[in-house]
Amino acid sequence: MVQNFTLFIPLLPFLAFAIIVLLTRNNNRLSALVAILSIVAALMLSYGVFLEALSEGAELAANPFYGAPIAWMPFGGMTINFGWYVDPIGAAMLFMVPTVCLMIFIYSTAYMRHNHVDEHGHPHAEDDPRYARFFAYISLFTAMMLLLVVSSNLLQFFIAWEVMGFCSYALIGFWSFRGRKEHHIDDAQVGRARGAAIKAFLTTRVGDILFMTGMILLLITLGSLDFNKMYDPAAMNNMLAGLAQPLPGVEWPVVIALLIFGGTIAKSAQFPLHIWLPDAMEGPTPVSALIHAATMVSAGIFLIIRAYPLLEFAQQTSGPAMQIVAFVGAFTALFAATIGLAQNDIKRVLAFSTISQLGYMLAALGIGAFVSGSFHLLTHAFFKALLFLGAGAVIHSIGTNDMFKMGGLIRKMPITGITFFVGAFALMGIFPLSGFWSKDEILLDAMREGFYPHAGMSQDLFLQIIYLMLAIAAFLTALYTGRQLFLTFLGKPRDQAAYDHAHESPVAMWAPLAVLATFTVFLGFWNTPFAPAFFHFVGEGGFMGLPPFEHSEFDPIALTNMLVSTGIALSGFAVAWGLYGFRPIQAGQPDPLARLGFVWKILVNKYWLDELYGYKINLDGTAQPGLLIRLVGAFMRLCAWFDRNVVDGLVNLAGWLSRILARLWGWVDTHIVDGLVNATASVTGEIAEWWRTMQTGNVQNYALMAMVGAMAIAILFLLRSFT
Amino acid sequence: MIPYLSLITFIPLLGAIIILFLPNDKAIKQFAIAWSIIPLVLATVAWATLSSWAPPYNFVYNACGVTIDSASAGYTFGECAPWISTLGIQYHLGADGLSMPLIWLTTLLTTLGLFYSAKVIQNRVKEFFALFLLLEVGMLGVFVSLDLFLFYVFWEIGLVPMYFLIGIWGHDTDRPQYAAIKFFMYTLAGSVFMLLGIIALYLYSSPNTFDMTLLAANQANMPFSKDVLISSLAFLGFFLAFSIKMPLFPFHTWLPDAHTAAPTAGSVILAGILLKLGGYGFFRILLPIFPQVSQQWAFWIGVLAVISIVYGALVAMAQTDFKRLVAYSSVNHMGFVILGFAAAAALTAEQMQNPHYINNGASAINGAVLAMFSHGVITGGLFFLVGMLYERTHTRELALFGGFGSQIPVYGALLLLTSFASLGLPGLAGFVGEFMVMNGAYSTLTLLAFIAVWGIVFTAAYFLWKIIQKILLGNVSEQWAKLPDLKGYEILTLAPLAVLMFAIGLFPNWILDTINTASIAILEYMKRM
Amino acid sequence: MITQIPLVYYLALAAALFCIGSFGALSRRNAIAVLMGIELMLNAVNINLVAFWRYGAADPLVDQAGIVFALFVITLAAAEAAIGLALIIAIYRSRDTVNVEEINLLKW
Repeated sequence: MVQNFTLFIPLLPFLAFAIIVLLTRNNNRLSALVAILSIVAALMLSYGVFLEALSEGAELAANPFYGAPIAWMPFGGMTINFGWYVDPIGAAMLFMVPTVCLMIFIYSTAYMRHNHVDEHGHPHAEDDPRYARFFAYISLFTAMMLLLVVSSNLLQFFIAWEVMGFCSYALIGFWSFRGRKEHHIDDAQVGRARGAAIKAFLTTRVGDILFMTGMILLLITLGSLDFNKMYDPAAMNNMLAGLAQPLPGVEWPVVIALLIFGGTIAKSAQFPLHIWLPDAMEGPTPVSALIHAATMVSAGIFLIIRAYPLLEFAQQTSGPAMQIVAFVGAFTALFAATIGLAQNDIKRVLAFSTISQLGYMLAALGIGAFVSGSFHLLTHAFFKALLFLGAGAVIHSIGTNDMFKMGGLIRKMPITGITFFVGAFALMGIFPLSGFWSKDEILLDAMREGFYPHAGMSQDLFLQIIYLMLAIAAFLTALYTGRQLFLTFLGKPRDQAAYDHAHESPVAMWAPLAVLATFTVFLGFWNTPFAPAFFHFVGEGGFMGLPPFEHSEFDPIALTNMLVSTGIALSGFAVAWGLYGFRPIQAGQPDPLARLGFVWKILVNKYWLDELYGYKINLDGTAQPGLLIRLVGAFMRLCAWFDRNVVDGLVNLAGWLSRILARLWGWVDTHIVDGLVNATASVTGEIAEWWRTMQTGNVQNYALMAMVGAMAIAILFLLRSFT
Repeated sequence: MIPYLSLITFIPLLGAIIILFLPNDKAIKQFAIAWSIIPLVLATVAWATLSSWAPPYNFVYNACGVTIDSASAGYTFGECAPWISTLGIQYHLGADGLSMPLIWLTTLLTTLGLFYSAKVIQNRVKEFFALFLLLEVGMLGVFVSLDLFLFYVFWEIGLVPMYFLIGIWGHDTDRPQYAAIKFFMYTLAGSVFMLLGIIALYLYSSPNTFDMTLLAANQANMPFSKDVLISSLAFLGFFLAFSIKMPLFPFHTWLPDAHTAAPTAGSVILAGILLKLGGYGFFRILLPIFPQVSQQWAFWIGVLAVISIVYGALVAMAQTDFKRLVAYSSVNHMGFVILGFAAAAALTAEQMQNPHYINNGASAINGAVLAMFSHGVITGGLFFLVGMLYERTHTRELALFGGFGSQIPVYGALLLLTSFASLGLPGLAGFVGEFMVMNGAYSTLTLLAFIAVWGIVFTAAYFLWKIIQKILLGNVSEQWAKLPDLKGYEILTLAPLAVLMFAIGLFPNWILDTINTASIAILEYMKRM
Repeated sequence: MITQIPLVYYLALAAALFCIGSFGALSRRNAIAVLMGIELMLNAVNINLVAFWRYGAADPLVDQAGIVFALFVITLAAAEAAIGLALIIAIYRSRDTVNVEEINLLKW
């Protein structure tokens, strides 16, 4: 029974982290080896669990692998236990996460060696000065992602979630400080990385606060955070018992569900907390692939998957929780796609496409398309990791992120180029790549429920709007992805020096690309409308008694939808070709879309949200805080002033007053109270002056007096006894 | 039975006396460190013994004529002797899950403080080490006394050595005399009110007693609990003393001055233990002896706690001096402890009947006590780190630092770890307590909890922006090109604290098990109101 | 049977010793001589105590208070002599004299 060893899956990379930090940190090769060995071991173990889960088949959905043996937090009569919980989607994540992570680890061994020209003009590669540290961080990160996937409990999930936030901080800011001998980074990069890291951590922290609030309220209302309990309709139905409403007309389940969704908004970079993800591209590219595309941001989606019964329950009993999720997702999908059009940084385009695709997943989950949303999560991880690693290979080879300095690179980097095309087409949703099947399924669900409802149900305007937003976003996705392809790999080189410098990556970098491309091509067949194997595995949707949303048998609408979405994707790509491919952009030529004027300006400035409540980081490493942050800053200074001058001022005033009072009393004391005492003393002194002559100080005199006195008393006594 | 508590408390006193007769500085230092390990070992053994009994206790506590059955038994290691018989004052010691972790922490931080000071204190060595051990006696005494009079005596004993530690070994530029007097006078003013409270309790109890266990167990039948005015005034007296010590907004301003001026080990003890005396009092005295008054004032105390959290974080963010910043972070973190108190105190009589609320109340108390413990570990570590940096750079001005992450990587790693532990990263010590406090607070003081939780964001902001960014990130300036990394003894000082941060964060069960028994006992007393 | 020496003999001897002692203690200027005078007085008391015990007690073997007191006095005298001599030596070291007339540091 492999499932009993599930908790060792996260433990192995965590041990690698500990070993690297404590023992091998000074040896780069050994550190990388430890990290890779640990992830290979974790991968084998999690494949074991995955296979065991597959062999359970549909049975697993009803009885997930579960165990919670670790007593972690006792309070009063109850204890929160930690353990593992592997349901079908968890099992699929256990397949995806270690696979992608292993590829990224292998890729990093080469990526973290920098090409460097020495003083004699000879180029040679040398390790990043923090090579070992990098592997320690990504091992910790992987451990936490795996822990998150296998968590049996929302609190355990939250811990993994937050530690990933720390890893993200550390890795985005990986180049945020510079020793005196480190020349591979410059001051501007140090400044950018520094700003991006703090921005990422604090922005996600806002979401984490909401998540934590939701989680605690859930713990209070449900009395447990165990996923076993959360997936149990009877327990959920008891949830409302004995609780007051937080506000008139609002009930707890919807509040809790939306607070937990707040965590997703920040972590999965949804509007309005998406602002951190584009800047997070300051980290080394494997980090962007690992954290900000394939895994960590999908943790937010995974949270919604885990909280799905709660959402359904809230939707049924107390408010439009799922509709809000769907709307935020669809809006973000569209919104991010528009910004993606106007980016020149190869990684930032991908960053916005990630935001957009995560929006797709949320929209799917929100409209009830549980299976297709989850499936898109899996396929997206592969092709987005592929795209990021490909972009990293380009950056590593020519040393710039700016797409307007690239062009025609496919001739210099054929393997990278071809795999990048595979990923890009998957992102656009071109038949028969995995992105086509998964994205198509989402559009299908929205279309079918919106326009072709079940018998007896009216057309749903809300779903129609969602469908339209997603469809437009799909068009824009094809457009900006096409733009990216034409600007980087096709066309003519615009920077000849960079082009001449370009070269194919070492095998450690292109081999992972090839593996990921293979998965990108074939993974989609796990869940096609013709043979929805994944759908059956996941358990056909519907936790809280809602009718299953997706259909297990083939639906003719699917064909219509395939044609429509292929048409959308191809038309987007065609527009891109018309703008950027038909007549390749020359060096110094402005972007053809710049003719949009003010709209273009909005897009380039990302709707000025950074200026409003974010933190704008400029290319030269400087940064301007947004309006909101300035307000907090002003308030902070006010508080400090208040503390120093008012609160402490009062204390000092009390001290000063008592000193004044003391001085006053001092005067009274010396002149009046003590005056009396002195008067008494001087009178006494006068008397004593003549009396003291008695005191000779000679002990013998005193003794003589004593003896005389004693004799006098004796004589008196004798006289009395005689008389 | 071995009188663990008396031994733990008075062995340091013996050490302080022996130090007075030792000939040279080296001998004094070695002796003090070695001697301070004895109470540490004893406390470890005592804790292990205690947790081998728990839970639930199935023995009867019997000391000083007080018999407490296993239903609400918290105390063990009871010791009793008559002291001032005419007033019924007894030498009554005892420990439970509430005090045991704090006793242990006191002995640990004292050893570490002495160990670190052995390297950095060079003038007036004999006085320093003797006073330090005397300070330990005062703090331990507060944690072990179960008699209010004894409690008060130890409470005051702790003040004197700290006064001298700040005044004599403080940095000349920080106005140490001003800070020391401010600390002394402010705390003394608070304790005078406490003395009045103690006397009120004595006069309005029947039979007249200073015994905390009796007062708590029988408070429902005591005259003071039937007289609203008296119990409110007595409550106020204790409350003032404890919240000045904690410190709670708006009584906190002595703290940054005292912390900044104190020598490194003094700051560590001040933040690590002395502040906890106040927190300990909240749970040992206010909650079990005054459940009704606590319940009445819970909301307003909660408001002060929330102000401490948010306001403390904002003021900390505005500081430019590393040490002052860490000092204000204590205000911020102690707010959570008091919020935990308020959350538990806010339980109404009717909620007390619901096991659900009782569990969440226990969560609040557990969380607050654990937050005290882990704050001691973390902030102790932070003050050590501040001191180590100051020893190297002779400045604490944050604006002058930068890029130390690559210049002194071991220091950087430890500062990173400690900062993240302090800002409440799950997996490290700070989070567990905060989470449990918030859990308790949400169940009784939902609105306040929702405001307080935003303090966590500000906490993260000042740690990342002011500490990590200003010190570790960026470029190293020429001025610090020769800055040396941590030496062996410094790493050795911090290592136990780092291990504890992980141990509590990854697996808090070992300590929560102990604390939980006390929380259940306290709630049991509160139920009788 | 041997005729006992009458009690009054002892008392006379003790009185004589006491007078000599007190004269010495009061009139001599040398501190050591003063000390010797005090010793004589103490011994006079001792003689009295022992004599009264021997003659006064109903059963001298049971009621031993007299000699016990005498023993106490001897012990005390020894301690007093030790402290007294130590004081005198200390004074001599600092003032170069043992004349009590000249030891007047605390006078007025």
